Amino acid sequence: MRTSRLLAGLLVLGFAALLVPSVDAQKRGGTLTIVRPTDPVSLDPNLETTAPGAWVYFNMLEGLLTLDEKMQVKPALATSYEIMSPTKVRFKLRSGVKFHDGTPFNAEAVKFTFDRALKGTPPARWASLAGSLSHAEVVDNLTVDVVTREPYGPILRTLAMYCMGIVSPTAVGKMGPDFSRAPVGTGPFKFVEWKTNTHVIIERNPDYWGDKALVDRVVFKVVPEEGARMIALQTGDADMVLFPSPAQLPALRKDAKFSVHETTGIRVVFAGLHAGMPPLDDVRVRQALLHAVDRKAILDNIMEGSAGPALGVLAPGVFGYKDMQLDRLYPFDRARAKALLAQAGFTPGPDGIMQKGGQRLSLSWLSQRGRYPKDGEITEAIQAMFKDVGVEAKVQFLEWGTVFSQLRGNPLNHHMFMLGWVTSNADADYSLYALFHSKQVPPAGWNTSRYANPRVDTLVEQARRSLNQTEREKLYGEVQDILAKEMVWIPVYTTKEIVVSRAGVKGFTMHPVEYNLALWKTWLQ
Amino acid sequence: MLTFVTRRLLLAVPVLLGVVFVVMLTIDLLPGDAVTLMLGEHATRDAVANLRAHLGLDKPFLVRYLDYVGQLLRGDLGRSFQQNRPVAAELSDAWPATLELTIAALLIAAVVGIVAGIASAVWPNSLFDGVARLFSLFGLSMPIFWTGLVFIVIFSLWLHWLPVGGTGSLTHLILPAVTLALPSVAMIARMTRSAVLDVLREDYVRTARAKGVGEVWVLGRHALRNAFIPILTLLGLQSGQLMGGAVLTETVFAWPGLGRLMVKAIFARDYVLLQGAVLVFALAFVVINLIVDLSYGLLDPRISRQG
Repeated sequence: MRTSRLLAGLLVLGFAALLVPSVDAQKRGGTLTIVRPTDPVSLDPNLETTAPGAWVYFNMLEGLLTLDEKMQVKPALATSYEIMSPTKVRFKLRSGVKFHDGTPFNAEAVKFTFDRALKGTPPARWASLAGSLSHAEVVDNLTVDVVTREPYGPILRTLAMYCMGIVSPTAVGKMGPDFSRAPVGTGPFKFVEWKTNTHVIIERNPDYWGDKALVDRVVFKVVPEEGARMIALQTGDADMVLFPSPAQLPALRKDAKFSVHETTGIRVVFAGLHAGMPPLDDVRVRQALLHAVDRKAILDNIMEGSAGPALGVLAPGVFGYKDMQLDRLYPFDRARAKALLAQAGFTPGPDGIMQKGGQRLSLSWLSQRGRYPKDGEITEAIQAMFKDVGVEAKVQFLEWGTVFSQLRGNPLNHHMFMLGWVTSNADADYSLYALFHSKQVPPAGWNTSRYANPRVDTLVEQARRSLNQTEREKLYGEVQDILAKEMVWIPVYTTKEIVVSRAGVKGFTMHPVEYNLALWKTWLQ
Repeated sequence: MLTFVTRRLLLAVPVLLGVVFVVMLTIDLLPGDAVTLMLGEHATRDAVANLRAHLGLDKPFLVRYLDYVGQLLRGDLGRSFQQNRPVAAELSDAWPATLELTIAALLIAAVVGIVAGIASAVWPNSLFDGVARLFSLFGLSMPIFWTGLVFIVIFSLWLHWLPVGGTGSLTHLILPAVTLALPSVAMIARMTRSAVLDVLREDYVRTARAKGVGEVWVLGRHALRNAFIPILTLLGLQSGQLMGGAVLTETVFAWPGLGRLMVKAIFARDYVLLQGAVLVFALAFVVINLIVDLSYGLLDPRISRQG
C-alpha cells in the first residue's frame, strides 16, 4: 500500500517534470574556462582600456548605461535620464544596489568614480576616450547630474562604454593601489583571485540586483601560443578560446563539437592616403587607387572569412553609420583606374610605371606586420595590385612602436600607411571628428590623411555639439557622402569578433565591441 | 675562500650598473615610447604629456639613469609603468616559475647528456653512438617552439598523458622542461663524448689499466674527473642558455615566468619592469659563474683561486 502510494507520487512528479520544458533548459553551475593570449595589464579601467583587462572587469563593474548586442543604449545602474541642458544630463539611479563589499551604490559613488578618473594624477587611461566629460554632481542619494565641458552629443554612448564602470569608494580607499588587482564593483560577477600570467578567477555575485549569472565561476587562463590555445579547446582544457586561429575556423564551423560565435566588429582596417602630399592631393589619383584594388580578393584569399567587407569609413554598428556604397562607386576596374590616372596627366613610362613630367608615380608606404590581422599581407597584396595599373609602392615595414610614433607625429613623410580604427564609444563623432576634421592633424588628433574640407569641419562640429540624435545622424550621413566622393582611405575590412567554444557552452552572444564579453547569460550543458 | 666569494660578489656591482645602463640606453634608443603605447591610438596630446611628466619620462636620459640607480641603492626597484605595481611584486610572481623550469631542464640536460656522452665515448662508433649523434644533431637543429608544439600535439592532444600548458603539478613541468633541455642535452652529450674520448687516450689511463684497475674505476676515478672540467664550463654556459631559451618555452607552454615578463616589458617599453627582470637574470649569471669557478677548484686542486 505504502509503496504504491509512493509510486503514484513519483508518477505525478514525473508528469509534472514532463510539463516543464526540458529542451535546452538553462543550467546553473559549473566553471567556464576561457583561454586567451595575454594577462591583463590591470583590472582597473583607470589603468587598462585594452581587451585583456576589459574582458574580465566588464563582468564585474557596471556603468550607468550599457550597449546591448544591437548597439542600442540600455540602462544599467541608471534607470532613466533627462537632458537638463546642452551640457548636463540628469540620471536617476537604481535603488537597493550594493557593491561586492556590501557598501551601497549611490550618487556619491558615481561622483567619486568620475573624480578619481578625470581629476586623478595622472588621469585615467580612458580620459582621452571620454571626450568632453567633465564631472558628476550629486543631486540627491539616487540622482546624479553628469556635466560636460561643452555641448557633447556623444555623451550617452560615452557613458555606456565598457570602461565606465562605477567602483566602490570604500574599497578604493581601503585598498589603495591594490584595487587594480582586485576591483570591487556592482556587476554579476565578483573577483576571486589573480595569479599573474596564469589565471584570473571570478565568481557569481549571489547578491546581484538583476538576473544572476548562470555559471559558478569563470577562469580566464593565459595561453600565449595560438596553436596551444586551439589544442586546449580540443583536449577539453578550455571551454572557450578568445582570438582563435583564423586558419582553423572553416574546419571548426563544420565540427558539431564546437560552436563559432561571431559578429561584425567596430574596427575598420584601411590603407590610408596622405591627401596633402602630391600626387595624392589630386582626388583623381586617389580614386584611381581605389579602382585598382580588388578588395573582394583580399577578403576571400587573405582574410579567409575572418573579416567582413568595409562598407565605408565606419563599421555598421556605429551610431551615425551610412553605407558609402564603395562597391558601386569604386568597383575593381583597372581600365577605370588607368583612365583616371590619364586624366590626372599621367602617361605610361618606359619601365611600365606611370609618369608625369618625368616624375614616376611612386608612393612611399609605411606599414607594419601584426598590429592588425594580416596587415603585412594586405600591404603586399595592394602593392602588387598597384603595379598592375602602373603605380609603384615602396613599402617600408617597421615595428609597430616605430610606425606609431611616426603616424602620431607631424609632418608625415609617407604617402600611405596601414591603420585600423575602433570607434571606441560607438558614436560617429569619435571617428569622423578625430580623423577628418582639418584641425585634428597629429599630434592633436588622428587626421593622418591631412584631409581638409571646410564643409566637413562645419558638419562634424555641429553634430558634436547637438544632443538631438536624429539631427546628428543626418549630419553624419552628409559627411560620409562627401567622404565617399573624396576618398582619402582605401577601406579594406571590418573586423569580425570571433570566439570559439565547445558546443556545450550555451547562451553566449558575441558583442560587436570586443571588450564587452558578457558572460552572465552563458551556461554549461 | 670567503674573501674570494666576497670579492667576486663586489665585482658584480659595477657589472650590474653597466647592465642597467645598457638596458636603459637600448630602450631609450628603440623607437616608440612607453606612454604613447600605453595610452593607445586615441590619446590626446595633453594626456600623453601629463602621463610622461608623471612617470618622469620628460627628464633627460642621464638624470633618469641616476635617479634609477639612486632608487636601486635604496633597495627600491620602482613601480612598473603599465601596471603601476611594484616591480618587486611582479618579479616575485615570476621568478620561482623560471627557476623551477631552468633547474628541471638543467638536471635533465646534465643527467641525460652526460650519461649518453659517456656511453658514446666508451663504445665509440657503435649503434648507440650513431643513434645518439643523430639525436644530438636533431636536438640542436630544431627550434624550441617547434619541438614544444610537436610535444603538445603528441602527448596532450593524441595520447592525453600530459596537460597542454600552465603550472600546478609535476605533470605540468615535464613537457616544458624536456623541450627546454633538448638542445642542451645534445650539446652536453657531444661535449662529454669528445672530452671522455680524449681522456681515455691519455697515458695515465693506460697506466691505470696496466696496473689492473677495473674499467669502472678507470672511467669514474681517472677519466671522468679529468673530463669534467670542460663539461662543467659548458654546464655553466648552458644554464645561461636555458634561461634565455625559457622565453620561448614559457610562451609555448603558458609558463608564468620571467621570460614572458621581459617580453611584455619590452613591447610596452616599460624600462623599470625590464630592468628588474634583467637584473635578476644578470645576478643569476654572476652566481652561476661563481659556482662554476668554485667547483673547478673542487674537481682539480691544481686550479688555484688566488688569481
